[in-house]
Amino acid sequence: MIFAGLVLVCGCSLEEYPYGFYSENNFYKTVADAESGTNYIYDAINYIEYSRAIVFLGDMNTDAMTPKGDATAATKELDGWKMKTFNTNTTLYNFYKYSFITINRANSVIENVAKMNIDENLKNRYVGEAYFMRAYSYFCLARNFGCVPIHIKPTRTIEDATMPPAENLDVMWNQIFSDLDKAVDLMPIYDKPQTGRTDRVAALALQAKAYLYLATAKESGAPRYSEMSYDVEDYYQKALAAAAKVVDDPAQTTYHFDDDLMAIYDVEKSDGPEHIFIMSMDRTGASEGQYSKISKMYIPYISGGTFYLKQGNTDEMIKTHDGWSEYQTAIDFWNGFETGDRRHDWLFCDKVYDASGTLVASYPGNKLSYPFCRKFIDPDFVGDKTSTKPMLIRYSDIALVYAEAAGPTTRAYELVNYIRSRAGLGAVTAGLSKTAFRDAIRQERIYELAFEGDYCYDLRRLNKLHTDISEAKGQGWTAEDMVFYPIPSLETDLNPYYK
Amino acid sequence: MAASVFTFAQTNQKLSVSGVVRDVTGQPVVGASIVLPGSTIGTISGIDGDYALRNVPADATIAVECLGFKSVQIAVGGRAKIDIVLEEDAMFIEETVVVGYGQMKKSDLTGSVSSVKTEILTDTPSSSIDGLLQGRVAGVQVINNSQDPGAGSTIRIRGNSSLNGSNSPLVVIDGFPYGEAGALNSINPQDIISMEVLKDASASAIYGSRGANGVILITTRKAKGNVTRVSVRQQTTISSFSTPLDIWRDPVLMAMISNEGRKNAGLTEQYVGAVNTNGIYYPSINELQTTWDTNTKWDEIVFRACPVSDNTTIQIQSSNDRTMFTASANYYLDNGIYIKDSYYKYGGNFAVEHKIIDNLKLKASANITGSKRHDNGYLSYNRNPIFPVYNEDGSYWQYSVQDYYHPLAITELQKNDKTGMNLISYFGADYQILPCLNVTAQLNYKHGETVQDVYYPKKYTQKGVFNDGYGGIQNWKDNNIVVEAYATFDKTFAEKHHVTAMAGYSYENYSSRSSGLAAVGFVNESLGNENLAAGDPEKYQISNSAYKTELVSGMLRLNYSYANRYLVTFTARTDGSSKFGANNKWAFFPSGAFSWKMNEESWLKDVKWLDLLKLRASYGISGNQGISAYQTLSRYGQHKYYTDGQWVTAIGPGYQSGYTGQGGIYAVWSGIPNTGLKWETTSQVDFGIDASFFDNRLNVTIDAYYKHTSDLLRQRNIAVSSGYDKMWVNDGEIANKGFEVTLDGVFFRNRDWNVGGTFVFSLNRNKVLSLGNSVEAGLNTDTRTGMQFEFYGNSLEQYRSYTNILAVGQPMYVFYGYVVNGVVQSLAEGLDAGLSGDDAQPGEFKYVNIYNADRLDTINEDDRCIIGDPNPDFTTSLALNASWKGLDFSIFFNGVFGNDVLNTKRFSMPSNQPMRWTVDNPTNDYPRLNDNRQTKLSNWWIEDGSFVRIQTATLGYTWHYTKKDYGRKLRFYVSGDNLYTFTKFSGYDPEVSATGIYSGGYPRLRKFTFGVDFTF
Repeated sequence: MIFAGLVLVCGCSLEEYPYGFYSENNFYKTVADAESGTNYIYDAINYIEYSRAIVFLGDMNTDAMTPKGDATAATKELDGWKMKTFNTNTTLYNFYKYSFITINRANSVIENVAKMNIDENLKNRYVGEAYFMRAYSYFCLARNFGCVPIHIKPTRTIEDATMPPAENLDVMWNQIFSDLDKAVDLMPIYDKPQTGRTDRVAALALQAKAYLYLATAKESGAPRYSEMSYDVEDYYQKALAAAAKVVDDPAQTTYHFDDDLMAIYDVEKSDGPEHIFIMSMDRTGASEGQYSKISKMYIPYISGGTFYLKQGNTDEMIKTHDGWSEYQTAIDFWNGFETGDRRHDWLFCDKVYDASGTLVASYPGNKLSYPFCRKFIDPDFVGDKTSTKPMLIRYSDIALVYAEAAGPTTRAYELVNYIRSRAGLGAVTAGLSKTAFRDAIRQERIYELAFEGDYCYDLRRLNKLHTDISEAKGQGWTAEDMVFYPIPSLETDLNPYYK
Repeated sequence: MAASVFTFAQTNQKLSVSGVVRDVTGQPVVGASIVLPGSTIGTISGIDGDYALRNVPADATIAVECLGFKSVQIAVGGRAKIDIVLEEDAMFIEETVVVGYGQMKKSDLTGSVSSVKTEILTDTPSSSIDGLLQGRVAGVQVINNSQDPGAGSTIRIRGNSSLNGSNSPLVVIDGFPYGEAGALNSINPQDIISMEVLKDASASAIYGSRGANGVILITTRKAKGNVTRVSVRQQTTISSFSTPLDIWRDPVLMAMISNEGRKNAGLTEQYVGAVNTNGIYYPSINELQTTWDTNTKWDEIVFRACPVSDNTTIQIQSSNDRTMFTASANYYLDNGIYIKDSYYKYGGNFAVEHKIIDNLKLKASANITGSKRHDNGYLSYNRNPIFPVYNEDGSYWQYSVQDYYHPLAITELQKNDKTGMNLISYFGADYQILPCLNVTAQLNYKHGETVQDVYYPKKYTQKGVFNDGYGGIQNWKDNNIVVEAYATFDKTFAEKHHVTAMAGYSYENYSSRSSGLAAVGFVNESLGNENLAAGDPEKYQISNSAYKTELVSGMLRLNYSYANRYLVTFTARTDGSSKFGANNKWAFFPSGAFSWKMNEESWLKDVKWLDLLKLRASYGISGNQGISAYQTLSRYGQHKYYTDGQWVTAIGPGYQSGYTGQGGIYAVWSGIPNTGLKWETTSQVDFGIDASFFDNRLNVTIDAYYKHTSDLLRQRNIAVSSGYDKMWVNDGEIANKGFEVTLDGVFFRNRDWNVGGTFVFSLNRNKVLSLGNSVEAGLNTDTRTGMQFEFYGNSLEQYRSYTNILAVGQPMYVFYGYVVNGVVQSLAEGLDAGLSGDDAQPGEFKYVNIYNADRLDTINEDDRCIIGDPNPDFTTSLALNASWKGLDFSIFFNGVFGNDVLNTKRFSMPSNQPMRWTVDNPTNDYPRLNDNRQTKLSNWWIEDGSFVRIQTATLGYTWHYTKKDYGRKLRFYVSGDNLYTFTKFSGYDPEVSATGIYSGGYPRLRKFTFGVDFTF
């Protein structure tokens, strides 16, 4: 027994072999692994830390939206532009964090799948999606934070965990464009939109958005951007060229306008032609992130739980649960729509009913605290669980990017007027100057993309943060103060490159 | 036999010899064996010390032996009456104690070791022995805060020294490292003969990377002497509440209080004789006073009137020169105070030892225990008395479909059973190669398994309603194999130099596996979880996991004593663990101790009243493994992702390792390996004095220690852009220092009387020295004092905040919150105090603005401070025992002093809500009722948790029904547990978990046990 024991002792290596979980050693072996790794990239942005922040950073910080009275400190700070605490603001931190979690997951696919010996088409697709998601995340980071650390390899050890921030905005944005070029090269175009996955059209769309963002930012004299090296007109043309591949390429038939305004916001039609990039959640999920509670953010609290909305101008009744009153519509913004705009009349609700069609509450004055945005409604909700999905890139967005980049061309008029007519509005005044036309397009964006997490970025690129946001103006913040959010302190404290 | 035949042949004259055996003081010695060597003739002295032998050859020599006395040989010399006087054996007084990998004379100990004879404990039935240690050993804190059937205890030796690792001591059963103390349900307490608690580093460092929390060594009962004994022990226990239930007996007062609370909050009053939003009719107060006749006494429905529990053990012990065996069987039933709430276990224990040849002994044992817990606890006994039990059709009455608390519906329809099995086996050999050299080898094998069955019905339970019925089965099993061998060398050179050396190795291989099956959406519920396949096939839930660790160790101990005066001990252990990071696989734990027996010095040797005076000093290093397996590996995560109309499995770098943020809604991401991760290191210095006076009638042990733990396992933050949040590192320090006194005395002893007692005093001071790099750890800073801290535990919804913190320079788990100075009496006073809005209204808490440097006259988060400390200032106990002839009586007081308790029920119970502030009762002690108040955690909720409890008292009578064999006896006793508690605490009972949070529950149970021990 003594010796048997000694043999055991001497033969024991003390090495650990993981049981029941995957690691680099046993993953990225098959096509299914590559596919699974690619899905894991998209999965990162489904967490509420990110999905809720889309609106906090795109709308809540503008005059279009207000928080509820007892909102969290982070929300109140963002809404009120209390910049002194932005470096510890949990919403900013969470958005930053999940952007980088997405980047790390993308880096893992880029590095590992590229080495795999699998079907070349599938490999290109997965790696292309990873490049796209990395570009999308850096695009979102660059717009909000300016220069951030550039990670292009997966973090494997604590030594890999800290990287220097991009030296300047040129370096930062070149990273985005370089990834997008690769994504465009590698990705296919799907036969029909796939909810929760992207294809070449998404990469082209993001290219268009990115070039237009920089062109207008420099043109409008936004601080920092004016120091960048590119030519404004060149970037307008690049934006136009990329957008044209989305809206004017006869080979691209997967994505186009949806004739039916309400269908865009039909929770069951997330694979509709408008949705170039939409998140994917389903009410059958087990945890939040798998399912969505985004609906509850927009809907006010109305005691009673379930109530009904009228669908468009019909008498069809759509069931919904009540909400948490988090994303409240600013009344001035609501009043700013043109008369007869269906996006005001149909997509914002000032009346709710019970099952029999009796009015339960209405704005103003009758138990409804604000007219709420109903773009995210799931009539088949299960308790708090819904399939409502934040929309990240819509075809109409890219059509407006095309129009803004192109200026007053026939095609540009055609695109914007389509959008207006779908909303029940007349055409944009013909024969406008380039500047006036672009202003009209920018105005249109506010209402077409309302509460979809876009508005503040238009204010950013047009250098209007300090002029068009009353909370900021009241505190006397300058354009220079507001151009970027500070890097979260958990980065600057822990990353020696910030010391 | 040849010799005896020869003796018989020489003389035929045979005598009957009788007499009395006494000790030097003249007291009769009971149970001495008087034998004629080489013959079958022999007897045992009776209760008066008397004996009688027949057929003794007149010229024979008889041998007299008795444990604790020197053996003597007496020539009969033809005498018929021989009175025998036995001298006490000094060697016996120096009883032996078990230490890690060996045993030694108690007086030779150089470290701090406390020994407990468990016989005094087992008059109180318990499923696990360690809970009974409460108050018995200096430096050992035992918290029995759960009274649920089969519940375990929290055991701490010399304070807490880990933040994220375990703080429980290691339990070693007959040399087998069983695991953490706190739930030893697989060992029947009555199979245990003694327990040794290793407290200082000199004693515990031999257990290396698992010794830092101290070690409890358990020795099981083995047969002794050339006898066969059978004993039967039967205990029957009845339980009842020791304090009255705090529930509404008067619905009218309840309704008035409820209405007032809602009215003050600006809400609609409930008891107004109308149907509320849930569709339930609440009567008006007038109605309650006149016509309303439903007043359900839920406590009488929910609680058993008198739960009866049962504990039966049968033991057989037999031994002769070559073979000894012990067998025992046990049945233990613990019926909880809640209806149908129960735990039972049954076990068998078998041990055999056989000498193959004179110097080679083989040993084997097996202990098998089966158990079943039917959990039906925490039913709602304070349900609204105006609610009826049944509807008119006999179904259970619910106040809404979301009424998940109907106690009878849960009792009848919900299932939560846990069935367990545990086997501990042992095979060993003991080979005395030379008189001075012994080799011991042993193999232990432990196997445990549990199956948990749950079913939550579609109606009446939350999980069942959400899932349309939920059924599940959880399987778990583990195996632990330990192989070890060690050699012990023991020799005295030149009469003065005594050397003992032990060297050995140990290999441990632990593995566990689990699997879970669950189904939801049941069509038909009549089978519960018996047919999970009947659930919705698209929603089956499955999971499985496994866990494996290895530990390889070498150990060494050297003892040297000079002239039995100066003793030196050195121990060392080296541990290699699979759990440690690749760069830190091996750990080394040395310790050294010195002791000086002053009483052996010539200048003290003649002091008659002094039997022992020993000074001890020790220093050593031990560890805490604290890490679970695989924490040093890179790890991917997996999640379900919905794309293209279906759920797929997404896998990639980073896994969700936890939750954070208010309410735990944010994910924490980990997965970067730390290849340097290692054990926590505790160094400890101990100074002690052992002294005995007056023929060992007074024994004193005093210890003072300082324990410093570094390399605390904790999670550090990683730069956010890495894509990860946290990583395990070793960073942080905690200190414990303390002082322990044990006084053990015999006050009075004569032929009929024996009166004695034990007093134990322990004091421990805990302090967090460092929480690691404050940036990496992400520590909070108290603005007013600059104190760095982090929150500990869970946030409490009642205060919407955490309650305990770990703060640098403070004891672990101190309470952190606001300060209240009375109650706001007028709006002006409220505004003046810095309160605003509803908080400034009369009747609200008057929080104190303790931080003004922010130039804000308002109450904000900077106005928080440390408002209490749940660690006791000291604990103490007193055990007194007296016996007179066959009667014995003992009483045990246990006290805890100076600990703060957070009483979360201080303003929500029928006993305290009526004391509310009102305009007519402008008190400063209680606020007004206000259902809408967002209460802040403040010192108002903190109470002194000091208490002294009459823990147990026992009265017994022992009848030696035959004078021939002192070991045969019959004992009857009655024992009371938790007889009375002296405390100022206003809740049911102040004995709560280490974090000091009282959350109600039910009153402490007082138990009476009627026991019979019968040995023949």
